[in-house]
Amino acid sequence: MNEELDSQLSAMFDDELLPQECELLARRLSRDGELKARWGRYAVMGAVIRAERGVRLNAPLAHRVSAVLLAEPELGVTAAVPARRAGVRWWQPLAGGALAAGVAAASLLWLRGQVPLGGVAPLSAAVPRQAAPAQPLPVVAPGAADSRYSYVTPRPAVARAPVVPSTELANYVVAHSMFSTPVARRNLLSAFMTSDPAAAGTEDPPDDAKLDVKVDAQ
Amino acid sequence: MSADASDLSLVRRVQRGDKGAFDALVLKYQHKLVKLVMRYVRNPAEAEDIAQEAFIKAYRALPQFRGDSAFYTWLYRIAINTAKNAVVSRDRSPIEYDLDRNNSEESYDMQGRMKDAETPEGLVLTDEIRTTVNAAIDALPEDLRTAIVLRELEGLSYEEIAAAMDCPVGTVRSRIFRAREAIDHRLREVFEGGLGRAEELG
Repeated sequence: MNEELDSQLSAMFDDELLPQECELLARRLSRDGELKARWGRYAVMGAVIRAERGVRLNAPLAHRVSAVLLAEPELGVTAAVPARRAGVRWWQPLAGGALAAGVAAASLLWLRGQVPLGGVAPLSAAVPRQAAPAQPLPVVAPGAADSRYSYVTPRPAVARAPVVPSTELANYVVAHSMFSTPVARRNLLSAFMTSDPAAAGTEDPPDDAKLDVKVDAQ
Repeated sequence: MSADASDLSLVRRVQRGDKGAFDALVLKYQHKLVKLVMRYVRNPAEAEDIAQEAFIKAYRALPQFRGDSAFYTWLYRIAINTAKNAVVSRDRSPIEYDLDRNNSEESYDMQGRMKDAETPEGLVLTDEIRTTVNAAIDALPEDLRTAIVLRELEGLSYEEIAAAMDCPVGTVRSRIFRAREAIDHRLREVFEGGLGRAEELG
């Protein structure tokens, strides 16, 4: 046995070894049976010097504890699993909720610009076009002399072809349908079921109707 | 020197799944723990059972040990609670060991003798260990004996012993180590198979 190692073991037993050295020696101590036996005898010496009467110095207590702990799971394993589960537990509902809300919001926003699908008409479509504001904003064609107002005239609603969701969006919604709200899920799925499959894959999104309105401050 | 660094390094290893490191903690504290528990129960065998239970409880609770207090303080607290619970449950138990209520102390001793009777060689071996260690200490040079006794009996730190003996801390460390080596040499000569089951660990 290395004398320096034994000297370190003695100092470690007395809590008089540097922490870095303790780390290294603890590793060796946990695996080296001879070193561990010596460590145990150091404890016996202390018990004799302290005259701990009634204490059996040869009691197989350490052996009994070790035997019981053989059936116990290692702490590194048991501690890591709950921690990992706990880590998942706190963010999973948040992520699920955020995803569901995102899908629902995207669906609602997207549906608002469409013609009625599956019998559920968007609010904007339910209002007659003629019933639009009684005094519409002044409209000036592009290139007009008065640059205070400019816009691109949107297409009439009647001219727009029925729009069905794109394949990608359909796949996305179906894949995440468990996170979306029941109403949104039902509306979208019914829309997919009733729409023309041939048109669904080729339908382009409507042209962005650029509306740039400048209102005179006065 | 950071106090409890030794125990903490072993504790951290146990927390990472090294059960062998817990053996070292049990070996180090088993006698102190049994002695502590014997303040609550007189019978050594029962005290050992309670100490064993306390060690197992400590092992299971070790993931929650953060090192805010010293490990032995934490361990002693577990042992005291375990001992108190054992006393309460024994008092509530319908099986009374003390058949003669007028002399319960005697009945405890009888119970202890009955349990110890299972391992009479254990009692003999304990006496032999004591005799050997005490003889080895008596045979030590004065400076070595003083150093080991101040450490083990008075619980002084190396720095305090150095101040008391008017020598450097390194000398104290060397003296204590040499004292232990001398005692250990005698112990191993007498008991070739090692002390109890301690040799089997690891």
